[in-house]
Amino acid sequence: MSALAGIGEFLVLFGTVFYFLSTLGLIRMPDVYNRMQTATKSATLGSLGVIIGTGIWAIGEGLSIAWLTKTLIIAVFLLLTNPISAHALIRGAYKSGIPLWEGSVVDKYKEHLEKKSQEGGEE
Amino acid sequence: MLKRILAIIAILIIGYWLAQGLANVPFGQDKMLVGKYYLEHVKDQTGAVNAVTAVVVNYRGFDTLGEVTVLFIASTGVGALLWRKKRKRTAKTEGSVVLTTGSKLLFPFIMLFGMYIFIHGHLTPGGGFPGGATIATAFLLMYMAFTIYEIPHKEFEVTEGFAGMGYVLVGLLGLAIGGYFLFDWIWQTWHLGTSNIGRLFSGGFIPIIYTIIGIKVGTELSGIIDNMLKEEVKE
Repeated sequence: MSALAGIGEFLVLFGTVFYFLSTLGLIRMPDVYNRMQTATKSATLGSLGVIIGTGIWAIGEGLSIAWLTKTLIIAVFLLLTNPISAHALIRGAYKSGIPLWEGSVVDKYKEHLEKKSQEGGEE
Repeated sequence: MLKRILAIIAILIIGYWLAQGLANVPFGQDKMLVGKYYLEHVKDQTGAVNAVTAVVVNYRGFDTLGEVTVLFIASTGVGALLWRKKRKRTAKTEGSVVLTTGSKLLFPFIMLFGMYIFIHGHLTPGGGFPGGATIATAFLLMYMAFTIYEIPHKEFEVTEGFAGMGYVLVGLLGLAIGGYFLFDWIWQTWHLGTSNIGRLFSGGFIPIIYTIIGIKVGTELSGIIDNMLKEEVKE
């Protein structure tokens, strides 16, 4: 087993641990926003670890370099798209009036929206 | 409640019946009759490495033509059902800046990937239909992210029609050269690319037909999206 294969295996394990933490967060967190945060962040990182780890692992096992190229492309695509989709989902959730967890203390976005609508009313 | 229980019982009976029918089908045993012929002859008869696309385009070309026709009819049907003289997108809520910028950046990447799928139909999994659907996804993304985005409707419909005609034309050329409809004239008459099976310029007319199908499916599904997102405007 070469060093590259070892690195790849470690990355895949690292990623799967983050997948597990992400699922755990999905069950444990109190409201949509907290859940979304854990799910997005750790699932993205976990996926990057697993995907790139697979590419490096394959090269370590003596397969062609095309594996790493493909996995890198998929990783970059995921890295770019996952935060955008999370952003859109969260924004949609807030706009459709899903309440924050009762333990949260500050809602600056609501204040901002109220301020904006008041200013609009005065004009 | 009674209705639901009766439905569940009926479905269970049907499921048991199907499972009984499938119980004697062997798994993991070599029972191929026609499949074996395909696997053994696909390379020298069609030049494609991907046996599925070779079967779909070459051996069973009529089915693919039928599928393309079904999609065309679906698109035309949606257009006919939702036909109004004045139609506009009435969406008001603009997407957030992150979403619009991200969609704008992603659009060319998705288009490129869709084209990659249908150009490499004879080498990698995929083909015209997944590639076309991916391209339509790119347009759907633009429609979802922007309230004012619109595809050039006339041009898309013309492209769609010409792509469909191109498919039939390739088939008719086969009829003229080889004697039957959808005869693979590029491979069997011209012997183009016989020396480089497995590379891009091989596979007879599979890449050409899949490019045509990809363009057709892409424009068609985009047209359906466009039709369904527009609402009637009253004067």
